[in-house]
Amino acid sequence: MTDIIIPNLGNEISEAEITEWLVGAGEEVEEGDVVLLISTTKTALEIEAPVSGKISQINFSDGDLVQVGDVVGRIE
Amino acid sequence: MPKNIPIDPIKTFSKSVLKSSGIPIHQYQKSIQEELKIYGKENLIELLRHMYIVREFETMLNSFKTKGSYKNIEYIYNGPAHLSIGQEAAAVGSAFALKTEDKIFGSHRSHGEMIAKGLSAINNLSRNKLNSIMDTHHDGKLISYIHKNFNNKEFNDAEMFLLTGVLAEIFMRELGFNKGMGGSMHAFFTPFGAFPNNAIVGGSSGIAVGAALHAHLKQNKSICVANLGDGSTGCGLVWEAMNFAAMGQYKNLWPKPFNNNPPMLFCFMNNFYAMGGQTLGETMSWDRLSRIASGVNPEQLHAETVNGSDPLSVADAVIRKRNILLEGTGPALLDIECYRFSGHSTTDTNAYRSREEIKDWKSFDPIELYSQKLLEADIIDKKNLDNIIEKVQNQIEILTSKVVDRELTPSIDITKKPTIIGDFTFNKQVNRISKTANDLLMDINQVNQIKNMKKKSRYGKTIDGSLLSGMRAITLRDSLAEAIIYHLSNDKSLIAYGEECRDWGGAFGVYRGFADIIPMNRLFNAPISEAAIVSTAIGYAISGGRAIIELMYSDFIGRAGDEIFNQLAKWQAMSAGELKLPIVLRASIGSKYGAQHSQDWSSLLTHIPGLSIVYPATPYDAKGLLASSLKSNDPTIFFESQRLYEKVEIFNDKGVPEEYYTIPIGKAVKRKKGRDITILTIGASLYPVLDASEELINHKIDAEIIDARSLVPFDYDMLISSVNLTGRLLIVSEAVERGSFANTIATNISRFAFNNLKAPAIVIGAPNWIAPGADMEKTYSPQTDDILDSVFRDFFPEKRVNKKGLRKDWNFLELAKKGL
Repeated sequence: MTDIIIPNLGNEISEAEITEWLVGAGEEVEEGDVVLLISTTKTALEIEAPVSGKISQINFSDGDLVQVGDVVGRIE
Repeated sequence: MPKNIPIDPIKTFSKSVLKSSGIPIHQYQKSIQEELKIYGKENLIELLRHMYIVREFETMLNSFKTKGSYKNIEYIYNGPAHLSIGQEAAAVGSAFALKTEDKIFGSHRSHGEMIAKGLSAINNLSRNKLNSIMDTHHDGKLISYIHKNFNNKEFNDAEMFLLTGVLAEIFMRELGFNKGMGGSMHAFFTPFGAFPNNAIVGGSSGIAVGAALHAHLKQNKSICVANLGDGSTGCGLVWEAMNFAAMGQYKNLWPKPFNNNPPMLFCFMNNFYAMGGQTLGETMSWDRLSRIASGVNPEQLHAETVNGSDPLSVADAVIRKRNILLEGTGPALLDIECYRFSGHSTTDTNAYRSREEIKDWKSFDPIELYSQKLLEADIIDKKNLDNIIEKVQNQIEILTSKVVDRELTPSIDITKKPTIIGDFTFNKQVNRISKTANDLLMDINQVNQIKNMKKKSRYGKTIDGSLLSGMRAITLRDSLAEAIIYHLSNDKSLIAYGEECRDWGGAFGVYRGFADIIPMNRLFNAPISEAAIVSTAIGYAISGGRAIIELMYSDFIGRAGDEIFNQLAKWQAMSAGELKLPIVLRASIGSKYGAQHSQDWSSLLTHIPGLSIVYPATPYDAKGLLASSLKSNDPTIFFESQRLYEKVEIFNDKGVPEEYYTIPIGKAVKRKKGRDITILTIGASLYPVLDASEELINHKIDAEIIDARSLVPFDYDMLISSVNLTGRLLIVSEAVERGSFANTIATNISRFAFNNLKAPAIVIGAPNWIAPGADMEKTYSPQTDDILDSVFRDFFPEKRVNKKGLRKDWNFLELAKKGL
């Protein structure tokens, strides 16, 4: 089981908004696939799947605010 | 980092040889008969006359400097005279080839170039146009003086206007083109296409490129020329400027009709010496100056080395380069080899060159050679030649006799108007924003980043008073973006550039989404050339445009030191207000990245007269002050703190208005009323001071907090009236304490509010050493505890509160004695 984590977003930035999940729970993903779009006050970022597998958990919905380090989803 | 120019690894690593195509050296070979057909007899003779005028003018200056007299005129001239005797063919030949609307920018040795350009313009302009220029310049004062003092039939009034304007400027008289505020090395007269000469070697290079960019965006079919010395090839700015003019993006990325290079000619008046250092063979590595072009672009800047002892060779080259530039395939470079018979300055003893060398070059005296050429070809006879020489000498003598006369041609009387130079420093003019620009790529409101901002709360707190996230409320970053995009979309004369400004949206995201709205020719990525970024903005602005530029981190100001300190800050005053520099320089004060990325250098710039300086700390102020800065016609340094980009508005309970508004520069704001002590904050220090003030209430100390917002000008009225009530002043800034602007304010308050002060004004700044890395940063910028400690120690020792800050036991005097 591998966490999908909100990465460090740069100097003086601590939070982000979930713009859009590109996958749903239960979907198969390949390592490197873009699974999630987030935005900060400074920029927009694409979050990739850290490993191949099935999305087992999605912890935040589109529009939610998340902090750097938050586990936003899991891949099994 | 445009995605449409992919960098292909296969292509990158394939084997090949980089070829260069050779640079022509002295290839000119037209006969005088061919030139006669091109120019006609009259023009060929006129060329000679112009060279004589330049020679005699500078001979006169030399005579004053070395002997204190010229002919029978006695005069002690105390200013500089960097003469170009021997280089007349370069100046006159080049000017002859240029049109009036072409702009030349010069060096400290550019009297000749400026006079030659003026003479050429006078010959090319219609009488009506000439009259209108002369009648409107300084309300017609100079032309009235000319008509009053010189016989119109004997002397061409426009030539007397030009030569008197230049000489009076050199002699620091009010009738000078810039009222004597520029002097010898900074003289210019823009209506004739003679733009500022520059006393900083190479200083004109970037300014000229900025002017070329303006000509390019206006598509006005003129070119810009930087007349530079060979010594300037050792200057970083010159290389930055050559690259800036040659950048690949014009051709590769800019939209039509701007998809070619600005019309820029780098004209090196190569006399082989940089003062006393010999460029050829000693201080420079090129064996031929033109070689430097090989390092700039595949076209090698169409470089050529030409014979600067022959005006026709120079004119021929300039005409050909001009054509290339108007086709848009520039920039171009000319290496005009010539020899300066006069010393670098009049105190030059020729310690660095031999008498033999000077003698050898005497047989290449351009005036002698060209006179001979015209005589041999029967274009002029000896009698006519002598007549020209006599007339020129007479012309220079008579105008000089009038200019040296202090009664007739006085300097500005500074004893009568002691602050007049101050009056030239700022124009305080405000630009009217015209109308929606017609070149926008997309409706602003359709752009995602703008749409996202519109969804946010304008105020930073919820109804119950809790703080909103920067994702939910307008941040300082957003408010900067709102002010800038308003101006960019409503003022087509405004351009924005700097490092990573376009696709990235600026290193700190202020420009995010702008690339979808503003075409590339008005919003582009600059090379990592801080000097050229500032310098080109100056050229763009003095040509009639407006610019907002950014240097990413304010720590990089050092890279643009001369351009900010000597150019941006000074040209308005050095031109006696003739030039306007509507430029906003965004300088972002960093955090967490250590000594070279975390310095508050606001004090460094307040030390330089001539710059408006603002440093807002809240979203509301940031938007309003940036709008004012963008409207202002004065050069403005706009400091931002990276620690504050995420701040939401908590002071103005209506939040940051969505609509456009301005906040006047020079007005402070009271953040909290209080009666016991005034705490003045500069920039980001507002927030720790606010925290400190809450703690102070527990100790029954009611602090009044004033946020400076603007440093130059500074709102002394508000601060003095506050200090008059509280009797105590603490100033908190993140700039290093030694020499900081906070100390200037403290000194002034000690003078102007002395009677009401209960204690000396105290300054807390950063310590006088480097900013450490992220984990240690709180030991550097003043923290809440440092502020509390100071209040208790310096103002309320009777409170006997335990000190908690890192500086609590510092012996400030001992540190100061150690240089810390």
